[in-house]
Amino acid sequence: MAPGLPLYTGVKKEFIHRAGFNPAVRLASSSVLLLLTISVLSPADLASAQSQDAAATQAQDAAAAQAIAAFNDRVNQYIKLRKKAEGLPSKLSKKSQPEQIDANLAALQASISSARVGAKPGDIFAPDIAKVIRRAIRQEFRGERLRKLRETIREADAKGVPMRANVSYPETKELIEMPPTLLLRLPVLPKELQYRFVGGYLLLLDKEARMIVDFMAGAVPRTTTSKR
Amino acid sequence: MKRLVAASSVIAFLLLSNANFVRSQNGASANRALSVNPPTLTLPNKADSVLFAVIGDTGTGSAQQRELAEVMRQYHSIFKFESVLMMGDNIYGGEDPKDYEAKFAEPYKDLLSAGVKFYASLGNHDNTNQRSYKNFNMDGKEYYTFKKGPVRFFALNSNYMDQRQTKWLEEELKSSGSDWKICFFHHPPYSSGAMHGPSIELRKILEPLFIKYGVDVAFTGHEHIYERIKPQHGVYYFISGGGGKLRLDGVKQTEQTAKSFDKEQHFMLIEIAGNQMHFQVISRTGKTIDSGALPRLEKDRG
Repeated sequence: MAPGLPLYTGVKKEFIHRAGFNPAVRLASSSVLLLLTISVLSPADLASAQSQDAAATQAQDAAAAQAIAAFNDRVNQYIKLRKKAEGLPSKLSKKSQPEQIDANLAALQASISSARVGAKPGDIFAPDIAKVIRRAIRQEFRGERLRKLRETIREADAKGVPMRANVSYPETKELIEMPPTLLLRLPVLPKELQYRFVGGYLLLLDKEARMIVDFMAGAVPRTTTSKR
Repeated sequence: MKRLVAASSVIAFLLLSNANFVRSQNGASANRALSVNPPTLTLPNKADSVLFAVIGDTGTGSAQQRELAEVMRQYHSIFKFESVLMMGDNIYGGEDPKDYEAKFAEPYKDLLSAGVKFYASLGNHDNTNQRSYKNFNMDGKEYYTFKKGPVRFFALNSNYMDQRQTKWLEEELKSSGSDWKICFFHHPPYSSGAMHGPSIELRKILEPLFIKYGVDVAFTGHEHIYERIKPQHGVYYFISGGGGKLRLDGVKQTEQTAKSFDKEQHFMLIEIAGNQMHFQVISRTGKTIDSGALPRLEKDRG
């Protein structure tokens, strides 16, 4: 492994509960501020604020749709490139021996790796789609469910996975199960690709080649409770 | 000198021949012989029944996995199960050809030679390319279905339950008519295991389908224990995740637990006879740790 290569090394700073943060105090102060704001607003102000909110939501949805369409294009380009990569092995038989599986995997990885020389983080998970995905995860996971998700990710044997695009996912490291309800919210991927969590990262994984196609940081929100 | 050499040879022979029987819980040598009870069947073993075994989280290549495989072989001599369902984590760690050999082919070589077919599902430690391995009979697919007599089996990939898979499952369940419907996969929707607990996110997606289309039984693994869950919404759930790995004292009893075991590796024997599912759970030392007959629960079958 190249020196200085970023690795997922286990418990990250973002996983540590922020010292001194008191959710109850924060909730109380937010409520007081909200009540004060409502009491000084006229009905016309409220209507105008509501219409501004609706417009903002509409704009956000349009931006998300655009980001998803562009993301789908980049994913499809990857699939095309993968299919045309030089030296691709022939499809494995359903009755393969371990030696054939091993050789096929090595050839597939070499072929894709050469075809994508120079690939870098964000090539597919561009900032706009990363924002959409972070929002989807935030909306899906809150409170106890978020705490449980973070616990599952933290306990997984995934330390030492290199955070780099176009490298293989170590064979000895586990792949954490993806919450099915989240998969319903994320853009649908072609059958060759999967989303996977490692630490606070979300990976785009080529499942057959077991390669990290791309990854994005800050995918898993912080928890605001630290029950255990 | 000759006497010394002869005495050394005898001692070396005795030590080597005894080595296979003297192993500790962790696989290291110890001064304790493994005492295995002779096979004793509690199942009816009728001629027209569907017979199969269940194992999970096996792929360690450890002495305990091999010892359990040997107990399975002994039971196979009196109970001719024709298939074995694998609950995932079939091969831990590396997946080189030598790993397939040490962690699967070698431990179960006698059963494989006897024509027993293993049907694998994928765990979080498995490479998806295991689906192409001849002896896992996955037909090149991560999720698949097959039929034995009046029983329809569904092997699922609980690592990645996406829309594509749930749509497939729904269509397959819908068309499976009045067959017994048995699903098997890695992550348990219900569990009293101390390590992972239930996969509630998975339950949210699978349980409505199980109820709607009349799934009878779900076998799972992931927790390195045995647990029989009390029926949940008309479905029997089992965890059989101690076929190689073991989490000693890994069960925290809950109100959902009907029976659990976390002291040794184990496997399950199943017999489907008419509207009854008979089961016997056997430990690495040959003790029967759970057994019984479960009636097929009345329900709308899609």
